[in-house]
Amino acid sequence: MAQRIVVIGGGGGGLGAAGGAKAVDPGASVTVFTEFEDVAYSPCGIPFVHGKEIPSFEALFLADKQAYVDAGIDIRYNTRVASINTSAKTIEVEGTGTVPYDSLVIATGFVYADPGVPGADLDGLYYVKNIRSAMEWDKRLDSVKKAVVLEAGPLGIEMATALAHRGIETHIVDPNPWVLGELCDPDIAELVQESWNEMGVQMHWNTKLNAFLGDDKGSVRGVDTSAGVIDCDLVVVATHKEPNSALAVAAGIKTGSTGGLIVDSSMHTSAPQVWACGDVCELPHQLGGLPLQGLTGSHAYAQGKVAGANSAGGNREYQPVYVPWGMVAGKWMIGGVALGETAATALGMPYVVGAADGISRARYYPGVKKVRVKLLAEPGSLRLIGAQLAGGEGIKERADFLGVAVKKGLTLRDLATMENVYSPPIGALNEPIAVAAQNALAAAAKGK
Amino acid sequence: MARFTTWLRVNSQHYLLQDAHVRMARKCGYPTPPVRGSIFWTKIFVPVYRLMPWALRRPIMRAIPGSHRKRWPIQMQPEGPAI
Repeated sequence: MAQRIVVIGGGGGGLGAAGGAKAVDPGASVTVFTEFEDVAYSPCGIPFVHGKEIPSFEALFLADKQAYVDAGIDIRYNTRVASINTSAKTIEVEGTGTVPYDSLVIATGFVYADPGVPGADLDGLYYVKNIRSAMEWDKRLDSVKKAVVLEAGPLGIEMATALAHRGIETHIVDPNPWVLGELCDPDIAELVQESWNEMGVQMHWNTKLNAFLGDDKGSVRGVDTSAGVIDCDLVVVATHKEPNSALAVAAGIKTGSTGGLIVDSSMHTSAPQVWACGDVCELPHQLGGLPLQGLTGSHAYAQGKVAGANSAGGNREYQPVYVPWGMVAGKWMIGGVALGETAATALGMPYVVGAADGISRARYYPGVKKVRVKLLAEPGSLRLIGAQLAGGEGIKERADFLGVAVKKGLTLRDLATMENVYSPPIGALNEPIAVAAQNALAAAAKGK
Repeated sequence: MARFTTWLRVNSQHYLLQDAHVRMARKCGYPTPPVRGSIFWTKIFVPVYRLMPWALRRPIMRAIPGSHRKRWPIQMQPEGPAI
Protein backbone atom coordinates (compact mmCIF):
# COMPACT_ATOMS: atom_id res chain seq x y z
CA MET A 1 0.00 0.00 0.00
CA ALA A 2 1.26 3.49 -0.87
CA GLN A 3 2.39 5.55 2.09
CA ARG A 4 0.03 8.37 2.96
CA ILE A 5 1.67 11.77 3.21
CA VAL A 6 -0.48 14.68 4.29
CA VAL A 7 0.61 18.31 3.98
CA ILE A 8 -1.27 21.09 5.78
CA GLY A 9 -0.77 24.38 3.94
CA GLY A 10 -0.56 25.27 0.27
CA GLY A 11 2.06 28.02 0.28
CA GLY A 12 5.68 27.77 -0.81
CA GLY A 13 6.60 25.42 2.04
CA GLY A 14 3.62 23.12 1.57
CA LEU A 15 4.00 22.77 -2.17
CA GLY A 16 7.77 22.34 -1.80
CA ALA A 17 7.03 19.52 0.64
CA ALA A 18 4.53 17.86 -1.71
CA GLY A 19 7.04 17.98 -4.56
CA GLY A 20 9.87 16.81 -2.31
CA ALA A 21 7.83 13.82 -1.15
CA LYS A 22 6.88 12.83 -4.69
CA ALA A 23 10.50 13.11 -5.81
CA VAL A 24 11.58 10.56 -3.19
CA ASP A 25 8.57 8.25 -3.49
CA PRO A 26 6.62 8.74 -6.72
CA GLY A 27 4.15 6.09 -5.60
CA ALA A 28 3.23 7.87 -2.37
CA SER A 29 -0.26 9.28 -1.86
CA VAL A 30 0.37 13.00 -1.30
CA THR A 31 -2.54 15.18 -0.21
CA VAL A 32 -2.32 18.93 0.42
CA PHE A 33 -5.00 20.74 2.44
CA THR A 34 -5.31 24.49 1.95
CA GLU A 35 -7.89 26.94 3.27
CA PHE A 36 -7.58 29.05 0.14
CA GLU A 37 -8.89 28.88 -3.43
CA ASP A 38 -5.48 28.76 -5.06
CA VAL A 39 -1.95 27.48 -4.72
CA ALA A 40 1.18 28.03 -6.78
CA TYR A 41 1.23 31.80 -6.98
CA SER A 42 3.66 34.36 -5.67
CA PRO A 43 2.09 36.35 -2.81
CA CYS A 44 5.33 38.33 -2.64
CA GLY A 45 4.39 39.85 -6.02
CA ILE A 46 1.10 41.35 -4.79
CA PRO A 47 2.54 44.78 -3.80
CA PHE A 48 3.98 45.20 -7.28
CA VAL A 49 0.61 44.61 -8.95
CA HIS A 50 -0.90 47.20 -6.61
CA GLY A 51 1.91 49.56 -7.61
CA LYS A 52 1.21 48.89 -11.33
CA GLU A 53 4.72 47.63 -12.00
CA ILE A 54 3.13 44.28 -12.90
CA PRO A 55 0.05 44.55 -15.12
CA SER A 56 -2.11 41.79 -13.65
CA PHE A 57 -2.46 39.30 -10.82
CA GLU A 58 -2.60 36.46 -13.35
CA ALA A 59 1.13 36.99 -13.93
CA LEU A 60 1.77 35.86 -10.35
CA PHE A 61 0.47 32.35 -10.94
CA LEU A 62 3.27 29.84 -11.46
CA ALA A 63 1.28 26.76 -12.43
CA ASP A 64 -2.35 25.83 -13.03
CA LYS A 65 -4.33 23.35 -10.96
CA GLN A 66 -4.04 20.66 -13.62
CA ALA A 67 -0.24 20.67 -13.21
CA TYR A 68 -0.65 19.25 -9.71
CA VAL A 69 -3.22 16.71 -10.85
CA ASP A 70 -0.73 15.59 -13.51
CA ALA A 71 2.02 15.37 -10.87
CA GLY A 72 -0.16 13.08 -8.77
CA ILE A 73 -0.57 15.61 -5.94
CA ASP A 74 -4.11 15.77 -4.56
CA ILE A 75 -4.84 19.34 -3.48
CA ARG A 76 -7.98 19.97 -1.44
CA TYR A 77 -8.87 23.64 -1.86
CA ASN A 78 -11.02 25.70 0.53
CA THR A 79 -10.55 23.02 3.14
CA ARG A 80 -9.77 23.67 6.77
CA VAL A 81 -7.98 21.22 9.03
CA ALA A 82 -9.54 21.44 12.49
CA SER A 83 -7.13 19.32 14.54
CA ILE A 84 -4.21 16.91 14.55
CA ASN A 85 -3.98 13.73 16.60
CA THR A 86 -0.33 12.73 16.62
CA SER A 87 -0.98 9.55 18.63
CA ALA A 88 -3.59 8.16 16.25
CA LYS A 89 -1.78 9.72 13.25
CA THR A 90 -4.92 11.37 11.96
CA ILE A 91 -6.21 14.83 11.18
CA GLU A 92 -9.78 16.10 11.39
CA VAL A 93 -10.85 17.89 8.24
CA GLU A 94 -13.95 20.08 8.24
CA GLY A 95 -16.55 18.63 5.90
CA THR A 96 -14.58 15.45 5.35
CA GLY A 97 -13.94 13.86 8.73
CA THR A 98 -10.97 11.87 9.94
CA VAL A 99 -8.05 11.51 7.55
CA PRO A 100 -5.20 9.11 8.48
CA TYR A 101 -1.56 9.73 7.62
CA ASP A 102 1.73 7.90 7.76
CA SER A 103 3.69 11.16 7.63
CA LEU A 104 2.52 14.71 8.18
CA VAL A 105 4.08 18.01 7.11
CA ILE A 106 2.85 21.19 8.80
CA ALA A 107 3.26 24.24 6.57
CA THR A 108 0.62 26.56 7.97
CA GLY A 109 2.70 29.70 7.46
CA PHE A 110 2.20 32.94 9.34
CA VAL A 111 -0.38 35.34 10.65
CA TYR A 112 0.09 39.07 11.12
CA ALA A 113 0.65 40.10 14.72
CA ASP A 114 -2.51 41.50 16.26
CA PRO A 115 -2.04 45.28 16.56
CA GLY A 116 -3.84 44.95 19.89
CA VAL A 117 -5.76 48.21 19.63
CA PRO A 118 -9.47 49.08 19.38
CA GLY A 119 -11.10 49.12 15.96
CA ALA A 120 -9.52 45.97 14.54
CA ASP A 121 -12.91 44.83 13.19
CA LEU A 122 -13.43 47.88 10.95
CA ASP A 123 -13.78 47.58 7.22
CA GLY A 124 -10.82 49.03 5.34
CA LEU A 125 -8.02 47.21 7.17
CA TYR A 126 -6.02 45.37 4.53
CA TYR A 127 -3.90 42.36 5.50
CA VAL A 128 -1.93 41.48 2.36
CA LYS A 129 -1.78 37.73 1.92
CA ASN A 130 -4.35 36.02 -0.29
CA ILE A 131 -4.37 36.72 -4.02
CA ARG A 132 -8.17 36.62 -4.49
CA SER A 133 -8.55 39.08 -1.66
CA ALA A 134 -5.79 41.23 -3.19
CA MET A 135 -7.73 41.35 -6.47
CA GLU A 136 -10.72 42.79 -4.64
CA TRP A 137 -8.59 45.25 -2.69
CA ASP A 138 -6.93 46.37 -5.91
CA LYS A 139 -10.31 47.56 -7.24
CA ARG A 140 -10.86 49.52 -4.03
CA LEU A 141 -7.46 51.16 -4.32
CA ASP A 142 -8.74 53.07 -7.37
CA SER A 143 -10.91 55.17 -5.06
CA VAL A 144 -8.49 55.47 -2.13
CA LYS A 145 -7.08 58.96 -1.66
CA LYS A 146 -5.14 58.52 1.54
CA ALA A 147 -3.65 55.38 3.09
CA VAL A 148 -1.74 54.48 6.23
CA VAL A 149 0.78 51.64 6.23
CA LEU A 150 1.24 50.23 9.68
CA GLU A 151 4.91 49.35 10.27
CA ALA A 152 7.82 49.63 7.85
CA GLY A 153 8.91 46.01 7.77
CA PRO A 154 9.57 44.29 4.43
CA LEU A 155 5.92 44.16 3.35
CA GLY A 156 5.19 47.65 4.69
CA ILE A 157 8.10 49.04 2.70
CA GLU A 158 6.89 47.42 -0.52
CA MET A 159 3.28 48.47 0.06
CA ALA A 160 4.22 52.08 0.92
CA THR A 161 6.32 52.30 -2.22
CA ALA A 162 3.53 50.70 -4.29
CA LEU A 163 0.81 53.01 -2.97
CA ALA A 164 3.02 56.05 -3.60
CA HIS A 165 3.65 54.81 -7.16
CA ARG A 166 -0.09 54.63 -7.55
CA GLY A 167 -0.50 58.27 -6.58
CA ILE A 168 -2.13 57.62 -3.20
CA GLU A 169 -1.16 59.92 -0.32
CA THR A 170 0.70 57.43 1.86
CA HIS A 171 1.63 57.62 5.52
CA ILE A 172 3.95 55.21 7.33
CA VAL A 173 3.35 54.72 11.06
CA ASP A 174 6.10 52.81 12.83
CA PRO A 175 7.31 52.56 16.45
CA ASN A 176 10.95 52.34 15.35
CA PRO A 177 13.14 55.38 14.65
CA TRP A 178 13.79 54.49 10.99
CA VAL A 179 12.69 52.20 8.21
CA LEU A 180 13.13 48.46 8.79
CA GLY A 181 14.29 49.41 12.25
CA GLU A 182 14.72 45.84 13.52
CA LEU A 183 17.12 44.92 10.75
CA CYS A 184 18.46 47.96 8.97
CA ASP A 185 21.10 50.48 10.02
CA PRO A 186 20.26 54.20 9.94
CA ASP A 187 22.91 55.03 7.32
CA ILE A 188 21.27 52.54 4.95
CA ALA A 189 17.74 53.59 5.93
CA GLU A 190 18.43 57.27 5.24
CA LEU A 191 18.65 56.68 1.50
CA VAL A 192 15.23 55.01 1.46
CA GLN A 193 13.69 57.74 3.56
CA GLU A 194 15.13 60.48 1.34
CA SER A 195 13.58 58.83 -1.69
CA TRP A 196 10.23 58.41 0.08
CA ASN A 197 10.34 62.11 0.83
CA GLU A 198 10.77 62.75 -2.89
CA MET A 199 7.83 60.42 -3.62
CA GLY A 200 5.60 62.21 -1.10
CA VAL A 201 5.43 59.41 1.48
CA GLN A 202 4.88 60.91 4.92
CA MET A 203 6.78 59.10 7.66
CA HIS A 204 5.83 58.98 11.33
CA TRP A 205 8.73 57.33 13.18
CA ASN A 206 8.81 56.55 16.91
CA THR A 207 5.05 56.53 16.61
CA LYS A 208 2.77 54.08 18.36
CA LEU A 209 -0.69 53.12 17.14
CA ASN A 210 -3.41 53.71 19.73
CA ALA A 211 -6.55 52.81 17.76
CA PHE A 212 -8.17 52.41 14.37
CA LEU A 213 -10.91 55.04 14.05
CA GLY A 214 -14.20 54.23 12.32
CA ASP A 215 -17.11 56.13 10.81
CA ASP A 216 -20.79 55.44 11.45
CA LYS A 217 -20.81 52.83 8.64
CA GLY A 218 -18.12 50.75 10.28
CA SER A 219 -15.37 51.74 7.86
CA VAL A 220 -11.97 53.01 8.88
CA ARG A 221 -11.62 56.79 8.71
CA GLY A 222 -8.26 57.20 10.37
CA VAL A 223 -5.77 56.04 12.96
CA ASP A 224 -5.10 57.49 16.38
CA THR A 225 -1.37 57.47 17.14
CA SER A 226 1.03 58.80 19.76
CA ALA A 227 1.73 61.63 17.29
CA GLY A 228 -1.94 62.48 16.73
CA VAL A 229 -4.77 61.45 14.40
CA ILE A 230 -4.11 60.66 10.74
CA ASP A 231 -7.19 60.55 8.50
CA CYS A 232 -7.25 57.83 5.85
CA ASP A 233 -9.50 55.62 3.69
CA LEU A 234 -7.40 52.49 4.06
CA VAL A 235 -4.91 50.95 6.48
CA VAL A 236 -2.44 48.32 5.32
CA VAL A 237 -1.68 46.27 8.42
CA ALA A 238 1.89 45.06 7.89
CA THR A 239 2.78 44.03 11.42
CA HIS A 240 5.20 41.22 12.29
CA LYS A 241 4.81 37.78 10.80
CA GLU A 242 4.00 35.41 13.65
CA PRO A 243 3.94 31.64 13.28
CA ASN A 244 0.50 30.24 12.51
CA SER A 245 1.13 27.47 14.98
CA ALA A 246 -2.18 27.17 16.87
CA LEU A 247 -3.11 23.87 15.19
CA ALA A 248 0.28 22.32 15.97
CA VAL A 249 0.41 23.71 19.52
CA ALA A 250 -3.07 22.27 20.22
CA ALA A 251 -1.65 18.90 19.14
CA GLY A 252 1.12 19.22 21.71
CA ILE A 253 3.98 19.96 19.30
CA LYS A 254 6.74 21.96 20.98
CA THR A 255 7.54 25.58 20.20
CA GLY A 256 10.64 27.66 20.84
CA SER A 257 11.21 31.21 22.06
CA THR A 258 10.02 32.70 18.76
CA GLY A 259 6.71 30.84 19.05
CA GLY A 260 7.70 28.81 15.97
CA LEU A 261 7.76 25.02 15.96
CA ILE A 262 11.05 23.49 17.07
CA VAL A 263 12.67 21.46 14.30
CA ASP A 264 16.00 19.75 13.68
CA SER A 265 18.01 19.71 10.48
CA SER A 266 15.65 17.16 8.93
CA MET A 267 12.80 19.60 9.68
CA HIS A 268 11.33 17.03 12.06
CA THR A 269 9.23 18.36 14.95
CA SER A 270 8.84 17.04 18.50
CA ALA A 271 6.01 14.70 17.36
CA PRO A 272 6.65 11.32 15.71
CA GLN A 273 6.34 11.32 11.91
CA VAL A 274 5.56 15.06 11.85
CA TRP A 275 7.73 17.54 9.95
CA ALA A 276 7.34 21.30 9.54
CA CYS A 277 8.59 23.99 7.19
CA GLY A 278 8.32 27.70 6.43
CA ASP A 279 7.06 30.50 8.66
CA VAL A 280 5.40 28.15 11.17
CA CYS A 281 8.77 26.92 12.43
CA GLU A 282 12.00 28.48 13.72
CA LEU A 283 15.51 27.98 12.38
CA PRO A 284 18.85 28.61 14.08
CA HIS A 285 20.96 31.52 12.90
CA GLN A 286 24.50 30.27 12.42
CA LEU A 287 26.03 33.40 14.00
CA GLY A 288 25.08 33.64 17.63
CA GLY A 289 22.95 30.51 17.36
CA LEU A 290 19.63 32.09 18.27
CA PRO A 291 16.59 30.83 16.38
CA LEU A 292 14.75 33.04 13.90
CA GLN A 293 11.23 32.86 12.54
CA GLY A 294 9.54 34.59 9.63
CA LEU A 295 12.11 34.27 6.86
CA THR A 296 11.53 34.44 3.10
CA GLY A 297 9.54 32.44 0.57
CA SER A 298 12.83 31.08 -0.73
CA HIS A 299 13.61 29.67 2.72
CA ALA A 300 10.10 28.20 3.05
CA TYR A 301 10.28 26.42 -0.31
CA ALA A 302 13.75 24.98 0.38
CA GLN A 303 12.67 23.82 3.84
CA GLY A 304 9.56 22.29 2.29
CA LYS A 305 11.69 20.25 -0.12
CA VAL A 306 13.70 18.88 2.82
CA ALA A 307 10.65 18.20 5.01
CA GLY A 308 8.74 16.57 2.16
CA ALA A 309 11.64 14.39 1.06
CA ASN A 310 12.23 13.17 4.61
CA SER A 311 8.53 12.56 5.22
CA ALA A 312 8.67 10.13 2.27
CA GLY A 313 11.67 8.27 3.63
CA GLY A 314 14.48 10.45 2.27
CA ASN A 315 17.54 11.67 4.14
CA ARG A 316 18.06 15.38 3.53
CA GLU A 317 19.33 18.11 5.81
CA TYR A 318 18.60 21.82 5.99
CA GLN A 319 21.35 24.16 7.13
CA PRO A 320 21.37 26.87 9.79
CA VAL A 321 20.63 30.21 8.16
CA TYR A 322 22.52 33.46 7.50
CA VAL A 323 19.55 35.17 5.81
CA PRO A 324 20.69 37.20 2.84
CA TRP A 325 17.91 39.70 2.21
CA GLY A 326 17.05 42.45 -0.22
CA MET A 327 14.16 44.49 -1.53
CA VAL A 328 13.15 47.55 -3.48
CA ALA A 329 12.48 50.40 -1.04
CA GLY A 330 11.45 53.76 -2.42
CA LYS A 331 13.86 54.49 -5.27
CA TRP A 332 16.57 52.22 -3.87
CA MET A 333 17.39 48.60 -3.47
CA ILE A 334 18.54 47.67 0.01
CA GLY A 335 19.85 44.40 1.31
CA GLY A 336 22.30 42.63 3.50
CA VAL A 337 23.19 39.42 5.21
CA ALA A 338 23.52 38.16 8.78
CA LEU A 339 24.23 40.98 11.24
CA GLY A 340 24.00 44.71 10.71
CA GLU A 341 25.43 47.24 13.15
CA THR A 342 22.07 47.70 14.86
CA ALA A 343 21.59 43.97 15.45
CA ALA A 344 25.20 43.49 16.57
CA THR A 345 24.85 46.41 18.97
CA ALA A 346 21.60 45.00 20.36
CA LEU A 347 23.22 41.62 20.90
CA GLY A 348 26.28 43.31 22.36
CA MET A 349 28.58 41.53 19.92
CA PRO A 350 31.99 43.12 19.36
CA TYR A 351 32.70 44.05 15.73
CA VAL A 352 34.82 46.15 13.41
CA VAL A 353 33.09 47.99 10.60
CA GLY A 354 33.98 49.61 7.30
CA ALA A 355 31.83 51.27 4.67
CA ALA A 356 32.24 52.64 1.16
CA ASP A 357 30.15 54.45 -1.41
CA GLY A 358 30.87 53.23 -4.93
CA ILE A 359 29.14 52.97 -8.25
CA SER A 360 27.40 50.18 -10.16
CA ARG A 361 28.92 50.83 -13.60
CA ALA A 362 31.69 52.96 -15.10
CA ARG A 363 31.10 56.55 -13.99
CA TYR A 364 30.57 57.70 -17.59
CA TYR A 365 28.17 54.91 -18.56
CA PRO A 366 24.44 55.81 -18.79
CA GLY A 367 22.39 54.50 -15.89
CA VAL A 368 25.26 54.42 -13.38
CA LYS A 369 23.93 54.15 -9.81
CA LYS A 370 25.37 54.65 -6.37
CA VAL A 371 26.19 51.53 -4.33
CA ARG A 372 26.75 51.76 -0.57
CA VAL A 373 28.38 48.80 1.17
CA LYS A 374 28.96 48.31 4.87
CA LEU A 375 30.82 45.28 6.22
CA LEU A 376 31.03 43.99 9.79
CA ALA A 377 33.70 41.57 10.97
CA GLU A 378 34.76 39.81 14.11
CA PRO A 379 37.67 41.64 15.80
CA GLY A 380 40.89 39.68 15.72
CA SER A 381 40.05 37.04 13.13
CA LEU A 382 38.44 39.69 10.89
CA ARG A 383 35.99 37.09 9.60
CA LEU A 384 32.90 38.64 8.06
CA ILE A 385 29.83 38.56 10.32
CA GLY A 386 27.47 40.70 8.30
CA ALA A 387 26.84 43.31 5.66
CA GLN A 388 24.34 45.96 4.69
CA LEU A 389 23.88 47.40 1.22
CA ALA A 390 21.98 50.10 -0.65
CA GLY A 391 22.09 51.04 -4.28
CA GLY A 392 20.40 51.40 -7.59
CA GLU A 393 21.30 47.95 -8.91
CA GLY A 394 23.38 44.87 -8.15
CA ILE A 395 22.30 44.65 -4.51
CA LYS A 396 20.75 41.18 -4.63
CA GLU A 397 23.84 39.67 -6.26
CA ARG A 398 26.16 41.29 -3.72
CA ALA A 399 23.96 40.12 -0.82
CA ASP A 400 23.98 36.55 -2.15
CA PHE A 401 27.76 36.65 -2.59
CA LEU A 402 28.32 38.09 0.87
CA GLY A 403 26.02 35.40 2.28
CA VAL A 404 28.41 32.75 1.00
CA ALA A 405 31.35 34.84 2.22
CA VAL A 406 29.94 34.87 5.78
CA LYS A 407 29.10 31.18 5.61
CA LYS A 408 32.58 30.22 4.48
CA GLY A 409 34.33 32.46 6.99
CA LEU A 410 35.98 34.83 4.51
CA THR A 411 37.91 37.65 6.14
CA LEU A 412 38.18 41.35 5.46
CA ARG A 413 41.62 40.61 3.98
CA ASP A 414 40.05 38.18 1.50
CA LEU A 415 37.49 40.77 0.45
CA ALA A 416 39.95 43.68 0.41
CA THR A 417 42.01 41.86 -2.20
CA MET A 418 39.17 40.28 -4.15
CA GLU A 419 39.24 40.39 -7.93
CA ASN A 420 36.22 41.95 -9.58
CA VAL A 421 34.57 42.08 -12.95
CA TYR A 422 35.28 45.32 -14.77
CA SER A 423 33.19 46.20 -17.80
CA PRO A 424 31.78 49.73 -18.15
CA PRO A 425 28.10 48.76 -18.67
CA ILE A 426 27.98 46.32 -15.77
CA GLY A 427 30.78 47.06 -13.31
CA ALA A 428 33.08 49.85 -12.21
CA LEU A 429 36.85 49.77 -11.85
CA ASN A 430 36.61 49.49 -8.06
CA GLU A 431 34.21 47.05 -6.43
CA PRO A 432 32.53 48.76 -3.45
CA ILE A 433 32.78 45.54 -1.42
CA ALA A 434 36.57 45.57 -1.78
CA VAL A 435 36.77 49.27 -0.87
CA ALA A 436 34.56 48.77 2.19
CA ALA A 437 36.78 45.87 3.28
CA GLN A 438 39.89 48.03 2.84
CA ASN A 439 38.26 50.77 4.93
CA ALA A 440 37.31 48.21 7.60
CA LEU A 441 40.88 46.94 7.71
CA ALA A 442 42.12 50.50 8.16
CA ALA A 443 39.60 51.00 10.99
CA ALA A 444 40.65 47.72 12.61
CA ALA A 445 44.29 48.77 12.43
CA LYS A 446 43.40 51.97 14.28
CA GLY A 447 41.50 49.92 16.86
CA LYS A 448 38.09 51.38 15.95
CA MET B 1 7.93 27.00 29.70
CA ALA B 2 7.37 27.91 26.05
CA ARG B 3 5.22 30.87 27.06
CA PHE B 4 7.90 32.12 29.46
CA THR B 5 10.72 31.81 26.93
CA THR B 6 8.60 33.58 24.32
CA TRP B 7 7.83 36.38 26.78
CA LEU B 8 11.53 36.64 27.68
CA ARG B 9 12.62 36.65 24.05
CA VAL B 10 10.06 39.23 22.94
CA ASN B 11 10.82 41.63 25.78
CA SER B 12 14.59 41.27 25.85
CA GLN B 13 14.75 41.67 22.07
CA HIS B 14 12.53 44.75 22.18
CA TYR B 15 14.45 46.57 24.91
CA LEU B 16 17.92 45.64 23.64
CA LEU B 17 16.90 46.85 20.20
CA GLN B 18 15.56 50.09 21.64
CA ASP B 19 18.90 50.62 23.37
CA ALA B 20 20.74 49.81 20.12
CA HIS B 21 18.61 52.38 18.29
CA VAL B 22 19.70 55.06 20.74
CA ARG B 23 23.37 54.10 20.38
CA MET B 24 23.20 53.93 16.58
CA ALA B 25 21.34 57.24 16.33
CA ARG B 26 24.04 58.91 18.45
CA LYS B 27 26.82 57.32 16.40
CA CYS B 28 25.29 58.36 13.06
CA GLY B 29 24.24 61.82 14.23
CA TYR B 30 20.49 61.29 14.04
CA PRO B 31 17.88 62.47 16.56
CA THR B 32 17.92 60.14 19.55
CA PRO B 33 14.70 58.11 19.79
CA PRO B 34 12.77 58.13 23.06
CA VAL B 35 13.38 55.36 25.60
CA ARG B 36 10.08 53.81 26.69
CA GLY B 37 9.29 51.00 29.07
CA SER B 38 9.45 49.82 32.64
CA ILE B 39 12.33 50.51 34.99
CA PHE B 40 13.15 46.80 35.14
CA TRP B 41 13.76 46.45 31.41
CA THR B 42 15.31 49.85 30.68
CA LYS B 43 17.32 50.51 33.86
CA ILE B 44 18.18 47.02 35.09
CA PHE B 45 17.95 44.36 32.37
CA VAL B 46 19.60 46.27 29.54
CA PRO B 47 22.57 47.64 31.56
CA VAL B 48 23.18 44.26 33.24
CA TYR B 49 23.04 42.47 29.89
CA ARG B 50 25.53 44.91 28.41
CA LEU B 51 27.91 44.45 31.33
CA MET B 52 28.05 40.70 30.80
CA PRO B 53 30.84 39.50 28.51
CA TRP B 54 29.80 37.91 25.21
CA ALA B 55 31.41 34.66 26.34
CA LEU B 56 28.87 34.52 29.18
CA ARG B 57 25.88 35.84 27.26
CA ARG B 58 26.15 33.30 24.47
CA PRO B 59 25.79 30.15 26.59
CA ILE B 60 22.87 31.73 28.46
CA MET B 61 21.10 32.45 25.18
CA ARG B 62 21.87 28.97 23.91
CA ALA B 63 20.32 27.46 27.05
CA ILE B 64 16.87 28.70 26.02
CA PRO B 65 14.87 25.85 24.40
CA GLY B 66 14.48 26.02 20.65
CA SER B 67 15.51 24.69 17.27
CA HIS B 68 19.12 25.82 17.87
CA ARG B 69 19.47 23.06 20.49
CA LYS B 70 18.50 20.26 18.11
CA ARG B 71 20.85 18.40 15.79
CA TRP B 72 22.25 20.57 12.97
CA PRO B 73 25.12 19.94 10.54
CA ILE B 74 28.51 21.23 11.59
CA GLN B 75 29.93 23.76 9.16
CA MET B 76 32.79 22.51 7.00
CA GLN B 77 35.84 24.72 7.22
CA PRO B 78 37.08 26.27 3.96
CA GLU B 79 39.88 24.21 2.48
CA GLY B 80 41.13 26.49 -0.26
CA PRO B 81 40.66 26.41 -4.02
CA ALA B 82 39.62 23.23 -5.79
CA ILE B 83 42.79 22.90 -7.83
